[in-house]
This record gives sequence, structure tokens and C-alpha cells, in this order.
Amino acid sequence: MRDAVQDDIIKQFDGLDWLDKYGLLISFAKELEPMDDKFRTEENSISGCQSKVWIRTYTKDGKMIINLDSDAMITRGIISLLLKVVNNRSPQDIADLDLYFIEEIGLKSNLSPARADGLASIIKRIREVARREAN
Amino acid sequence: MTDFKKDFPILEKEIYGKKLVYLDNAATSQKPGYVIDTISEFYRSDNGNIHRGIHYLSEVSSEKYEKAREKVSDFIGARDPAEVTFTAGTTDSINQVACSLEPVLKGNEVLITGVEHHSNIVPWQLAGAKLRAIPIDDDCNLLTDSIEITDKTKLIAISHVSNVLGSVNPIKEITGIAKDHDIPVLVDAAQSIQHLPIDVKDIGCDFLAFSGHKMYAATGVGVLYTSERFSDIMPARGGGGMVDKVTLERTTYLDPPLRYEAGTPHIAGAISVAAAIDYMQSLGMDKIRKHEHDIYSYAREKLLEADGVTIYGNTEEMCGSISFNLDNIHQYDTGMILDKMGIAVRTGHHCAQPLMRSLGTEGTVRASFALYNTKEDADMLIEGIQKVRMMYA
Repeated sequence: MRDAVQDDIIKQFDGLDWLDKYGLLISFAKELEPMDDKFRTEENSISGCQSKVWIRTYTKDGKMIINLDSDAMITRGIISLLLKVVNNRSPQDIADLDLYFIEEIGLKSNLSPARADGLASIIKRIREVARREAN
Repeated sequence: MTDFKKDFPILEKEIYGKKLVYLDNAATSQKPGYVIDTISEFYRSDNGNIHRGIHYLSEVSSEKYEKAREKVSDFIGARDPAEVTFTAGTTDSINQVACSLEPVLKGNEVLITGVEHHSNIVPWQLAGAKLRAIPIDDDCNLLTDSIEITDKTKLIAISHVSNVLGSVNPIKEITGIAKDHDIPVLVDAAQSIQHLPIDVKDIGCDFLAFSGHKMYAATGVGVLYTSERFSDIMPARGGGGMVDKVTLERTTYLDPPLRYEAGTPHIAGAISVAAAIDYMQSLGMDKIRKHEHDIYSYAREKLLEADGVTIYGNTEEMCGSISFNLDNIHQYDTGMILDKMGIAVRTGHHCAQPLMRSLGTEGTVRASFALYNTKEDADMLIEGIQKVRMMYA
């Protein structure tokens, strides 16, 4: 099923060359609210090979709130897009969500498990938490 | 102008619409057409299992394999081809030594350096040895004056050239110290075999390990040189092709080198190593070294001149790799943008986490050079870095 937020992201990346795509990712990275230092703990970190990623989740009024941050800008850019898509939905919605925008904007290679930004691990973690909350 | 690029088919490739600038040679080198053709030709016309068959193809393959051993033996200055064993790579070579020496190493100590790759750390830990590292100064010179040998020190295991910094370690000074205490020395030559002249007799080491794929040969093949002084150590692996007599009670082994090559080896790989040596020698080793030295020095100078670049390591002799970071830009972010410009570098900890801790960084960007790199490649890197800085400004 198509999703308006993802379709809008895909439109913004459409027709850009590779460098411009990464330029756009960097501008999304700059929009992302930094996570408070006190939450950047070992416990909240998702292990990746090269860049550090921290995650914090809680539910409010039946919606799942997710905070993510990273020490690398490209990863922050991807995270920023991901949050636009997944935030403020019910846990069940998130668990069922098809994240097709990643492939369509050309970031599919970032999803391979060995990939340095750990995008696959981030998505896996979000889905795990969502499923747990949904039950 | 020395143009070796034309010999390497992959270097004609375009990446994201940009001409490929390959600067990840410390991870793996590209292969010249001559090596690719040799491998292909082996499977097309010579392939048979070695040292077993009485048929024609087995004999041809055996002869080519043993010729490859002789070629490697000459290339590293071994006394006898029997000192040369083909392995799966540097990591495998070091693991085999660790396994063979385990009875001696267990509960004792291996002296390494502060710049080692994990493959010269973890095998010794698996063998039950404690590690002590020769410390480094701020420029990453080894502080050889502080080498301390104790009764527990049973082996010194050092890299010839750092895979991160490109620093050349004073291995002859260390083998000299080891000799005074009658301690064997293993040299990890993964990052030097393709750049520097190697003579195991001159170095005075007992073990030397390197990989084929970093010296223009196939992946999955490597070399372990074991000096004749250690020709009686127990093999790390058992199986076919390495035994004299087998009974259920007791097995006796063949003499080296076959003793250390259980099972069917990477025959095509070994032959590719010989082909890579032929290729390098046809260009002239001195010519290659001069060219590499010029390009390396040029790239380093340009990086030193560039704004906002921190370079790690500054030792008297350097080759291969240059590690750096751009101020306030994560190494991963630098690498990703360079990639999109067609420039292949490596980023991260480079399997040297203890060194990263000493350098006070999570990781670096590493540009590493091979014989086919040019000043233009170095210029493209500098241009790329400027673009990266602009993009994150």
C-alpha cells in the first residue's frame, strides 16, 4: 500500500544525481533534533561497524515515539527520513509498515546487514519494539 | 610518465558515471590481465589435483604448483622452497603458526607492537598467550628502547608495514634483539610484500606471512615462510596429502612443505601468486618502488598542505597507506561522498582497534596506493576532499 509520507520523500529524491542525493540527505540530517547526551548511552546504542547510532522509544497516547541519532551525518540523514515515516504511528502500524522508500530513492545497498550505517539493524530494532508494544 | 593502469582491466570501469580512482589497495589490489589470464588458462587447460594422480593433468598441475613455490621462495630469499607453504592468506598463515606453537605459547607471552592488525592479535589470544605491545610515540614510531624480554616471552610477532598508517617498522632491529634472546620472530608482511624488497635471510625472521590478493594475485591464497630451524613443528591441520603412514593408533607426516598443506590447496591461487611475481618483475621491482614512492610522497604532501586534514603517523620510512580525518567530519561521511565521486577508500577502524585507541579516534579514512596509482589519482583525492568539506560546511 502506498504511503503519502514515503511518496513525498521519493518525489524529492527523484531525478537527482548521486552527489545531489547525498547533499539532500545532509540537509535532512541538519534538520534532525539532536538527542540529549544523557540518552546517548551504551544501552541505547545499536551496534554498527562504523557510525554510532542511538535509539530511544516510548509510547504516548497509543502512538510510538522514536528518537534516533548518530555521530555520522549520512546516517543522521537516513535516520531523519526514517523518522518522518515511522513516528507518531501506532505500534501495530509500524510493525506492518512497508518501508519501500529506501529502495526507491536508491539507498537499498545501505540495507545490507554488513553496511556501515547499520540501517538494517535500526529498522530491525524499531520493528522489534513496535511488535512488542503491539502485543 | 609510468602508466601501469592499462594492464588492469577493472581500472577502466566507471563508478556512478565517474572514472574509478581505486585507493583501497591495502584491502585488496586489482589484478593485471596477465594474472587473470593465467588463472583462466589454468582452469581451461591444466586443471588436475596435485601430488596424487598419475595422469597427465595431475602432473602438469603439480609441476606448475611446485614452480610457483620455487618462484615465491626466490622472491623472498628463502634458503629452500621447502620453507614456503601455501595457505589461505595472511590471517590463515598466522593462525597456523599460533596453532602449531600453542603448546609453547599457552600461559606465556607474545610480544607484538602497538600498531597491529587484529589478525596479529587474536590468533595468539586463541592460543592462550598473553600479549604485550611495544609502545609507540606520537608519530607512531615503535619505541624499541622500551622492549622488555622476559622468561615468559616465547615469540615476537610484528607487522612490517602498518595497514593503517603505512609506517615501516624497524623489523631488523627487532630481529636483532630477538636473536640475542633466542626468541623466534614472525613478520606479518601483508602490507609490505607488494611495496618493499623482502629477504627473509636478511630480515632474520623465522616466520613470514603474506596474502596473494594484496600483491595482484587471487584471493584465498597466501604464503607462510617457516625457516628450516622450525621445520619440525607440528602441523596445524591434518588430512590428505600431508601424511607418510596412517594407522588408527599413530600417524607419521611427510617432510615440509607438504606436511603443512593438508587437503587440496588453492592450486590456481598459488599459480596466480607466481604470475603476479612474474608481472611485477617484468615491470622491474626498482621501477615499481620508485614510482610508488613518488606517488605516495606526492599524495602525502598534498594532504599535509590541505586545510582541515589530520594525518596519522609520521615515521622515517612509509609506504602503502595514508590514514587521515577531516576536521569535524565523520570518516564514514567522508568515505561515502568520495565513493559517489568514484574514489574508493576505506573508512573505519581497519581491524586495528587497539591502535585507534592510541590515536584517540574511532576510525580514519585510509587511502592506500598500488603500482598503478598516479599523481592524477592523488589530485582526484584532494579534489574529492575539498568537495566533502564543502558538502558538510
